[in-house]
Amino acid sequence: MKYKCLIINTLTILSFLNVVSQEVVGSTQVNKLEEVILTATRTERQLSSLPLPVTLISKKKILQSGTIRLDEILSEQTGIITVADESGFEGVQIQGIASDYILILIDGVPLVGRSAGNFDLSRITIGNIKQIEVVKGPSSSLYGSEALGGVINIITEKPKSEELNGNVSYRIGSFTQQDINLDIKQRYKKLRYGFFANRFSSEGYDLNPDVEGQTVNPFENYTVNGRVYYDFNDKLALFTSTRFYDQIQDAGFTFNDVQFEGDSKEREWNAHARLDQKWNEKLTTSYEFYYTNYTANERLADPISDDVLSDSDFDQKLVRPEIRGSYAFAPADRSGNAGWKAGTLTAGLGFQYDELDRTFFDEPVSFNSQYVYAQYDINPIERLNVIAGARFDNHSEYSNQFSPKLAMRYKLTDAFAVKGSVGYGFKAPDFRQLYFDFTNSAVGYTVLGYNVALEKLQELQEQGQILDVVVSDDDLNNPLEAESSVGYNLGLTFKEGKWNSELNFFRNDIKNLIDTRIIARKTNGQNVFSYVNFDEIYTTGFEINTGYKINDAINLSAGYQLLYAYDKKKQQDVEDGQVFARDPATNQTVAVTQSDYFGLVNRSRHNANFKVFYDIASAKANINLRLLYRSKYAQFDTNGNGLIDSYDTSFIDGFLTANVAASKTFYEDFTLQVGANNLLDYTDNNIPTLPGIQGYVKLNYQF
Amino acid sequence: MTTMKTLQTLTLAVLFIGFTSCTSDDDNTPTPDPVQAELVSNLFAPQTGGQGTGQDEGGPFTKFDFKTGAETTSDTEWDIAFRGTTIAVNGGTTTGTNDEPTRNGDAGASIVTGTFDSINTADGLTFAQDTASGFAIPTGSDNGWYNYDFMNNIIMPIPGKMLVFRTRDGNYAKVEILSYYKDQDNSTPANGRHYTFNYVYNPNAGETSFE
Repeated sequence: MKYKCLIINTLTILSFLNVVSQEVVGSTQVNKLEEVILTATRTERQLSSLPLPVTLISKKKILQSGTIRLDEILSEQTGIITVADESGFEGVQIQGIASDYILILIDGVPLVGRSAGNFDLSRITIGNIKQIEVVKGPSSSLYGSEALGGVINIITEKPKSEELNGNVSYRIGSFTQQDINLDIKQRYKKLRYGFFANRFSSEGYDLNPDVEGQTVNPFENYTVNGRVYYDFNDKLALFTSTRFYDQIQDAGFTFNDVQFEGDSKEREWNAHARLDQKWNEKLTTSYEFYYTNYTANERLADPISDDVLSDSDFDQKLVRPEIRGSYAFAPADRSGNAGWKAGTLTAGLGFQYDELDRTFFDEPVSFNSQYVYAQYDINPIERLNVIAGARFDNHSEYSNQFSPKLAMRYKLTDAFAVKGSVGYGFKAPDFRQLYFDFTNSAVGYTVLGYNVALEKLQELQEQGQILDVVVSDDDLNNPLEAESSVGYNLGLTFKEGKWNSELNFFRNDIKNLIDTRIIARKTNGQNVFSYVNFDEIYTTGFEINTGYKINDAINLSAGYQLLYAYDKKKQQDVEDGQVFARDPATNQTVAVTQSDYFGLVNRSRHNANFKVFYDIASAKANINLRLLYRSKYAQFDTNGNGLIDSYDTSFIDGFLTANVAASKTFYEDFTLQVGANNLLDYTDNNIPTLPGIQGYVKLNYQF
Repeated sequence: MTTMKTLQTLTLAVLFIGFTSCTSDDDNTPTPDPVQAELVSNLFAPQTGGQGTGQDEGGPFTKFDFKTGAETTSDTEWDIAFRGTTIAVNGGTTTGTNDEPTRNGDAGASIVTGTFDSINTADGLTFAQDTASGFAIPTGSDNGWYNYDFMNNIIMPIPGKMLVFRTRDGNYAKVEILSYYKDQDNSTPANGRHYTFNYVYNPNAGETSFE
């Protein structure tokens, strides 16, 4: 009977026929006092009950820390690092996995617009959000492509109060950094709305005055977000959100003694609508539509002659309708509700259209994909929670992907629990890897996307530019595979009284990594590059977080991540004595030993943080100190052997940053905050994203 | 150009040859001459035209003779020759670039992966010669002996790429290029085209050992 029920209801969810009104039983299923996470299961789940490694950052912590952009607050979390890669763009790294493989969501829908694979997290203001959820490890079973290393989901707040409420704030800091926020929320019977506007600007800074131009040029950006909610009745609720982002930044480049100047512009538009339907106490469905458009362009010209040095455009669009539903076979809040038939089934299907038009593409290109996913969340016995899920993606440009995931949590005692998960993650080849057609005009090398390589190579051959082709046609005919990983997490959690600890071991085996290789030699002595699947890497280590609440006023927390990240083939080559370097003293070749091989670029072996938050309730004030440490890492190979070894010279030594902030509320509604980031004034010319000490003052009015 | 020669080695070698010839008995196999390990510094290898100039490469090659361990202007008594980043061998035919020397010997080159010390014989190697379709040591970044770092505009000898030569008259030598810059200082491109290399030459004709 129950199985029949399951099948029928699944079909109902997936085909969403007509609306049938049913009686409503009970009320909210989730204990609101507990911290609730949406991202891990696409249903509301208590943070502490999840079988996956998850980080939750609350609005309170964001406000107390005085952080204003997403990159700032994320980089204060254990095991999450923001770092610029070889392209010079900054991205986030989770469990040693680079930004290309981390999916960024707002209210569950993806953001697009990456620079050389990196998502610029400083694009996102955190002035109006409820919380940030980070799920570590592969989550492609729910989210598909890009969710290989983890998912970051920014959750906005649903207005609750019938009175107009919100806040206005102004902050000014070093480098004339200014941040202005206006946030308004109100509920009016069935209608709720939220409006948010932010202006953020800075005059930038210069870490290296000897080099022409600033390290970071002056910029200003605006974010506007409007949200409308309408509850038709208890069973049907509409959510719509529109977000607009616009940035303009000065750009400059000195080439052959001419100082070229111009602007770099970025613009982003998101439109998100969702209808949530509650059929009865057991069944809910959601119908979602999402559209986003990201454009960037940069034009550099000689200010005197108006000769254009470069003019590049980037225009990406994504459309994604999705239907999903959840069926709870038995209400989840009743105690002792265990057994194989008492789980929650979540399933969805969707369609995604992705389009990109940019400089160095012949014409706009587009991808289509259809996907379906399902997940079963169950407590077969009271102490054990099991989540099993899978997703199937059918894609127009690469082979279909099947992404399963299994996660379990077992409660050993009231204080201890073990949790483990294994999952598959993938990242589809991106537009650049498939369609790029770029020739460097100064040096003369060419980079071709995989899908256009054969055709473009023939064109070059006809033009007599090719000396010889070094790969066979067959090599270029087999389709490029999606990059994929299998991730394992095994952890232990402890929560008792004032203590709260979590230990998690992780291992990610990634294969089919896409990199460039030489496909032909040109008559000018340069090469033609294209993309190919060839690398296999792994990242492994553990993360430990401990929180201790001394009393209601003082909270201490400490975190540490140990990380090993290596290329498997290069590790083997080193073991076989096939990798060489030059001894800087004699310039003679030496064999690189296993202890010389440092691992992948931009990975620090050790990351640690220590935080103290002190609430002075009597004075309506709070003060906090956050110390962040990352150990030595290398930026790129300097001696031409294709890997990082102890003879390379691009190492950045380990460093410590200290951030402090203090706030005091007065006249009920006003809060003054004073703080400083990078209090120890640590700078390095090779870390362009870290300026010296940055002081700030912020005034907030809450109404 | 200053070719650093270890006079001692040569002197010893000469004395040794003299000594053995004086005392040779008719049924004694002569003890082979020891291999010669040398460092050549700042061998200047200019070039006209070429990369980035819009002109064809040209200008005379700087020729080197392993037997004397010195630069030479001889048209016949040379083994390898340098012009910019290009290395020619005195074997095969001209490749067709301007001002190339005539090949009149049987020299050849082989690129071997390893450390300098790990290569102790030329036995079993295949030696390529210059041909109309290219140099025995391929030109271009990452193809032959060097890698061009265009970010920093530096020519770097690829670590682990050792050059083994058969000389024009059938001796063997191994070479490790250490630097392309004067006094091994690559801080300015103006220092370029000055080769510094280690070599080991076996003076016994046909002997492949480098030990």
